[in-house]
Amino acid sequence: MSTYVNRAPQDTRGTWTTYLGLTLVLLFSAFPVYWMFVISTSTDDAVAASPPALLPGAQFLVNAQEVFTLNEVYFAASLINSVLVSGIITAATLFFCSLAGFAFAKLRFKGRNALMVVVILTLTVPNQLGIVALYIVMGKLGWNNTLLAVIAPGLVSAFGVFYMRQFIAHAVPDELVESARIDGALTLRVYWNIVLPAIRPALAVLGLLTFVMAWNDFQWPLIQLNGTDYPTSMVALSDLASGNYVIYRRVLAGAFIATVPLIVLLLIGGRQIVRGIMEGAVKS
Amino acid sequence: MSLTDLRPAARHSAPPPPPGKTKHWLYRFDIKTIPYVFISPFFILFAIFGVFPLIFNGIVALRTWRLDDRSLDGWAGFANFERLLTDEDFWNALGNTFGIFILSTVPQLLAALIIANLLNRKLRATTFWRIGILLPYLTPVVASTLVFAIFFARDNGLANWFLSLVGFGQETPLDWRAQKWSAWIAIATMVNWKWIGYNALLYLSAMQSIPKDVYEAAAVDGASPWKQLWSITVPMIQPVVLFTVILSTIGGLQLFNEPMMFDENPQSASGGSDGQFQTIAQLIYKVGWKDLDLGYAASMSWALFLIILVVAGINFAATRRLGGGR
Amino acid sequence: MRRTVRAGLAGVAATLLIAGCSGQSLEGNDDASNGASGEQITLKVNFWGDMGLDALKAKYEKDHPNIKIALNSGEFNAQHEDLQKKLVAGSGAPDISAVDEGFIVQFRNQADKFVNLLDKGGADFQSKYLDWKWKASMSADGKQIGLGTDVGGLAMCYRSDLFEKAGLPKDRDAVSKLWTNWDDFIKVGQEYTKKTGKKFVDSGTNLFNPVLAQQPVGFYDEQENLQMDGGPKVAFDVSMKAIDAGISANLASFQPNWDQGFKKDQFAVLACPAWMLGHIQDTAPNQKGKWDIAAIPGGGGNWGGSWWTIPSQGKNIDAAADFVKWMVQPEQQIEVFKTVGNLPSQPALYKDPAVLDYKKEFMSNAPTGQIFAATAESLKPQYLGKKNGPTRVAVENVITRVQQGGLKSDAAWPEAVKQAEKVAKTAK
Repeated sequence: MSTYVNRAPQDTRGTWTTYLGLTLVLLFSAFPVYWMFVISTSTDDAVAASPPALLPGAQFLVNAQEVFTLNEVYFAASLINSVLVSGIITAATLFFCSLAGFAFAKLRFKGRNALMVVVILTLTVPNQLGIVALYIVMGKLGWNNTLLAVIAPGLVSAFGVFYMRQFIAHAVPDELVESARIDGALTLRVYWNIVLPAIRPALAVLGLLTFVMAWNDFQWPLIQLNGTDYPTSMVALSDLASGNYVIYRRVLAGAFIATVPLIVLLLIGGRQIVRGIMEGAVKS
Repeated sequence: MSLTDLRPAARHSAPPPPPGKTKHWLYRFDIKTIPYVFISPFFILFAIFGVFPLIFNGIVALRTWRLDDRSLDGWAGFANFERLLTDEDFWNALGNTFGIFILSTVPQLLAALIIANLLNRKLRATTFWRIGILLPYLTPVVASTLVFAIFFARDNGLANWFLSLVGFGQETPLDWRAQKWSAWIAIATMVNWKWIGYNALLYLSAMQSIPKDVYEAAAVDGASPWKQLWSITVPMIQPVVLFTVILSTIGGLQLFNEPMMFDENPQSASGGSDGQFQTIAQLIYKVGWKDLDLGYAASMSWALFLIILVVAGINFAATRRLGGGR
Repeated sequence: MRRTVRAGLAGVAATLLIAGCSGQSLEGNDDASNGASGEQITLKVNFWGDMGLDALKAKYEKDHPNIKIALNSGEFNAQHEDLQKKLVAGSGAPDISAVDEGFIVQFRNQADKFVNLLDKGGADFQSKYLDWKWKASMSADGKQIGLGTDVGGLAMCYRSDLFEKAGLPKDRDAVSKLWTNWDDFIKVGQEYTKKTGKKFVDSGTNLFNPVLAQQPVGFYDEQENLQMDGGPKVAFDVSMKAIDAGISANLASFQPNWDQGFKKDQFAVLACPAWMLGHIQDTAPNQKGKWDIAAIPGGGGNWGGSWWTIPSQGKNIDAAADFVKWMVQPEQQIEVFKTVGNLPSQPALYKDPAVLDYKKEFMSNAPTGQIFAATAESLKPQYLGKKNGPTRVAVENVITRVQQGGLKSDAAWPEAVKQAEKVAKTAK
């Protein structure tokens, strides 16, 4: 039996049980995605094979080519549209939410707590029927069936405001804000010079989550962009998956291709996040 | 929607600047008004895209709005809400929603805590593990639910194949959609799969910002990692735990995509042949778009809204108390 | 392709705009609309599956250089729902939308949201259509919201190769003689299942629907009263009997398992309206020549079939009306019949040699024209009530519960009545 010292977990070395646990978690996480890949590389029969198909086939290029060349699906264009839509939404969300989060966490103003409660309440509004009303609003703005209609409602998120508030409240010391104030710095400068650098890890996390959420959103984009020739990738994907008969190798090939950009993003941004998280730890 | 547009509007709340004292005016503006400017993008966008639909829904809820028979349109007062109380479909959906909610939220958050704790170590290939657990969150719901629907198929489904490997369901394969318990488990699995890694990441980032001296100064001498987790780490990250509890409450009670795509007969939106796994969000959708009864559906979505508020409030209070919060 | 504003303007403004639109098309007057004066028009057409429009689009665009047809095929239910949402919102609907029999009642009750085709020269077509087909898309106050495309008709598709292996006759006439009524059909099924160990039909619901279609009165009579003890009872009993006989594979139609069932030979027969042929062909392309078509027990009936409708919120309703009228011309109808199998709803075409002599290669060269035309002509049209769709779903769900083992077949009928009454009650 080992003796325990009062050492912070992050300074404790992982044991073999740690690695075993993580490996199991990873298998569980990766398997459905892996299987999606397997089907996207196979022929029609693989979906229902028994025992199940567990190894990739050689058909990926064939299936991928079908996805890209299918008429009226606009798959290639849809990937570009998705980058555009998700990129704008992410940039705006990070900016607006960190501003609002900063205000809620560190600034004093009348009605602060009440307004924060309102932010949280907005999260709880179910949207099954709101969709018709939202469509009418977009109609008034003249944005129906455009990418703008998909982008606009996503520019801020209550989740983002809430998350940023929680993070800034802890990560930015009050004294720092106060002393900058006494030196005569305006609030916007405090935000820019003090808050933003301190919340980089949170920005990385929220940015990734927002981008992924925007990329994967499909109900509202489907209503707006169904049948146009500039769909987002999820609309194109549900176009692929529609029709009375679902050709799984093709749909899942499309799904896999539409997931790859996110995986790439995670590989790039993931390091950033990890580094950010580590930095946060070192600072405190 | 730029910030400059908003300033004139916001200026109303600030008293007019004393003439000549630009510095002073700027300072007052900075203190009094800037906070509102900072939060205004959220509220303005929400007013346009959130409040109007909400009010619209509120009015619709007090009306009968029947797409199939226009002659029935009119004011209903609270009749729609009264009808809810005796609607067995509503109560069934409520039960399902809570069943699936508990089966997904509790294991989800516990697993996320444990995984975050595993990740919160000195590890080889840290980035690899952290990226790995986020994979489910990345995967488009359109794709993953399609995969899971095949996974939980009665014939030739992978889930049944795994079961048969450990000796279950040999002669008659389990029809996952036929009973409540199996359908709930299948749907909860989809939800858990998607969100565990995500929550673990949120916990991890909070855990990493706990000052190390908290552990070093801990009164419990020689605490095991397990004990350390529950007696030091969890209380320290309580705000984030609270945050995830609320989020999964809100998400869980509005569960829609998973039961929808799990259904063998999605066009009916009936959540199984006997409503085994029909959630409230799905019932709202069915009443509105299948039964074409938009007024009644709107009243259901208001009821759901209130239920979420109550449950989120209870969870908030409970989590604070359990965590021994301030 | 810009599809702009117009959207949010309510009431008065919308009327003005529609007036404006008609003005605009007057200048590009009818046949002259392909002239240089006409501006570029895109007509968006929403439908599902394959309605054989690719060739028609090319042909029409060639003859009308200023018109572009944008075909948007989607999922069956999603398309109807999309249409409904956009009708409610007042904008965003396609210029032309296909509407299926299962949804036509729902939409004809909102006739004010569609172009009344009687105003667009549609009246000329009345005499060409099967009477019931014409009436089914007509609102109570006499507005015609759609022109018929196809009717279902009813026949029984079967796997001749599997029949042969099971020692059953292979030839389509001999097979038709095996089952003049549904009891015989179930007996044949039992024999098949005994010999092969495999199931015979895909599911109980896919027996319920065609049997119900054969009855003179469906779920509702013309006074909108639920009539469960008539047709529905007959159809329900047949499905229960088949399930009890153990010949049903219990696969929900149009779902992944069903598609796999085709490939894995999990069933040997499938009740097929004409539009089902295209589906079989797409699902199991390598079963070419293994399918054949026999008569369905119990004779004619209709299951499915669609209409072309024009939402009145559209900007180019005249151009859309022209295209729709062109699509339902005999020449185009026959072309669609040949490419995908959909049977026209204009009886004159049933006498047309191009239809009568047509043989479907995929279905072992079965004379699909003759088979389906005969069933379409002999069928007794059925009134579909306002709540027909949801009632059907409710009863189908009861059948599924029996198949899943959650409900005993002898307790099923009262439950079906209860569920159907629940749906019917919401109509009041």
